[in-house]
Amino acid sequence: MTLLRVEDVHKSYGDEEVLKGVSFEMDRGDVDVLMGPSGSGKSTMLRCINRLTEIDSGDVWLDGTPVYGPDTDVNELRQDVGMVFQDFNLFAHLTAVENITLGLKRVLGVPKAEARERAMEHLEQVGLAAQADSYPAELSGGQQQRVGIARALAMEPKLMLFDEPTSALDPELVGEVVEVMRDLAAGGMTMLVVSHEMGFARSAADDIHFLDSGTVVESGPPEQLFERPEHDRTRAFLTGLQAETHQ
Amino acid sequence: MLQAGDWAFVFANLDYLLAGAGITVGLTLTSLLLGFLTGFPAGAIEVYGDGILERVVSTGGVVLRGTPIVVIMLVLFFVVSISKSAFITATVGLGLRSAAYQSQIFRGALQSVDEGQMEAARSVGMSRFEAIRYVVVPQALRRSMPGFQNEFTIVLKDTSIAFAIGLAELLTRGNDLFTQSGRSTAVLEVFLTISAIYFVLTFATNRGLDRLSDYYAIPSGENR
Repeated sequence: MTLLRVEDVHKSYGDEEVLKGVSFEMDRGDVDVLMGPSGSGKSTMLRCINRLTEIDSGDVWLDGTPVYGPDTDVNELRQDVGMVFQDFNLFAHLTAVENITLGLKRVLGVPKAEARERAMEHLEQVGLAAQADSYPAELSGGQQQRVGIARALAMEPKLMLFDEPTSALDPELVGEVVEVMRDLAAGGMTMLVVSHEMGFARSAADDIHFLDSGTVVESGPPEQLFERPEHDRTRAFLTGLQAETHQ
Repeated sequence: MLQAGDWAFVFANLDYLLAGAGITVGLTLTSLLLGFLTGFPAGAIEVYGDGILERVVSTGGVVLRGTPIVVIMLVLFFVVSISKSAFITATVGLGLRSAAYQSQIFRGALQSVDEGQMEAARSVGMSRFEAIRYVVVPQALRRSMPGFQNEFTIVLKDTSIAFAIGLAELLTRGNDLFTQSGRSTAVLEVFLTISAIYFVLTFATNRGLDRLSDYYAIPSGENR
């Protein structure tokens, strides 16, 4: 069953067209990865799904709801779409657990005690129950990102967006975040991930969409895209990426 | 020159000066409160507002910051005559002037909070207002503390300008002392004494505000 449908999405910043008609679909439970060179429009595409960035034309449907429909309440829509940021963006003045309870309390109206209980469950899920009362600046990058994932999960979204979740991490901290993402994928969460983590893509992704200059050049399951890419641009990009990974 | 007799005169009238210091402190508090209650929304409007409201607020700020405080006070008291009470007039004058400066402190603090904080708050479904209220403002208030401490010190000492409209605050009372007949030799002693009182007030409150800053500081792990 289709959960997300992106149809011919266009987006320009000034004179520069960043997305030139992007289309793809995801079923419930799918894990899709967006790859492509920097400036290819991956992050913009992701942000257009929860309207942190507004599209110029095209359509996005989430679980039958037109994301850009005139009657769509953007704040309600965003409760269904969790987002994990490259720079974590944890609320700096709140502890790990408070980062999670804030949305529960203010957006979903969950009572304080129950909010804390639910937040603790999600911290446990990402292996950080012991750090519940630490402030973001007291946590490592990997821990911060796991709190970021827990914060998004706590809203019980239908879809999770990951915007380069491991790019800002020291190499030795990437593993713990990827592991949490793999668990999520295995648990049936629908995930759209902008990432160059080949390991994650290979083991967890159903489909990979390769973007270049604002268009989807090709899509396919990882074994197909990685082993037998059809387009030269995909091949060139993957070769570069593999060379980098093996350094 | 400093003379023992003049010191004795000052100390004999210390009660009178300290009562003036009480008025100075009171005026500082009312002015800062008015400045905060007006300046904080003004700063927020300058950052998040648009249209006429934003233009009115920022123009008002420019005018207030561009006018000498003595002029503001004299106009309010003698020209517009907003109140017969010099205390109320001084509160309004100092308060509005402080609001114009505090708005810039808060504007800078609000703008310094990373855009990602707002995005993260919006991404969990908070409205723009909720994101500002629960995520941006708590961080901005902490960052505005150094600027606010500065502003506090300036307002405390600028209460002395209420001298111009005859409010019996600390400086006015010091002036009362050495203008009595035969006491003109005590000028230096009087000024040293009231300066010391201003110093104690600023020093003590700045220490207090430092404590407050530390208490609300966001733990970073590094300064543990």
